[in-house]
Amino acid sequence: MTGALLFGTIGMVDVFLAMAILIVMASFVSLYRGIEGPGIFNRIIAVNVIGTKTIVLLVLIGFIYERPDFFDIALVYAILNFIMTIAATRY
Amino acid sequence: MSDTTTITNVITVILLLVGAFFMLAGTIGFVRFPDFYSRMHATGKCDTLGEGLMLVALIVYGGATFVSVKILFLIMFILLANPTSTHAIAKAAYDVGLEPWRKLDDRVEWMNTGDTGNTSNTGNSGEGRAGEDGEDRGEGR
Repeated sequence: MTGALLFGTIGMVDVFLAMAILIVMASFVSLYRGIEGPGIFNRIIAVNVIGTKTIVLLVLIGFIYERPDFFDIALVYAILNFIMTIAATRY
Repeated sequence: MSDTTTITNVITVILLLVGAFFMLAGTIGFVRFPDFYSRMHATGKCDTLGEGLMLVALIVYGGATFVSVKILFLIMFILLANPTSTHAIAKAAYDVGLEPWRKLDDRVEWMNTGDTGNTSNTGNSGEGRAGEDGEDRGEGR
């Protein structure tokens, strides 16, 4: 991959796509702990981690498809993720 | 699309790879560590740093536009919110009475919350929760 990068045969969109696929795979690995993990706190933190990865995924999708709407969605999603975590830990 | 050999794109790719490495390390630690607190130790820092690095890479790629300002706000919010939520989860778990994992422990047992002297008033819902969740948490760590 590095050689292909140095020769410029793949564009930046492909790099962003590879990163997005990597983040989705990491989210599925985290989902294992969310399903299997003992207790409610492991599930809360799994949701938090998957939401954190989803923010980066949304920004990457915005750059892949060149649609600036996704950055607003990512910002709102970050705020919602934070509020959801605080609410879940309070009650 | 644009060439990958220009200097900003090389910086972008390097920052993206480093950020992805941190995210993957945090994910592996999240799955492999034995305790809830150590799992949170893995995810709370690695995810924040990896996400910040990836978003900085996208700022470098995007240049000085309005979109980059939005991503900068996103980074600032994440650097504030992610440690706060991690601290909130850890404090809630400690108040409910989840014991940290020690060496030579087979598993972390749930204590009765009446025994812990330092449960604050935020753990007032902890008695019922520890009681009802103790069963499915029995095999866990």
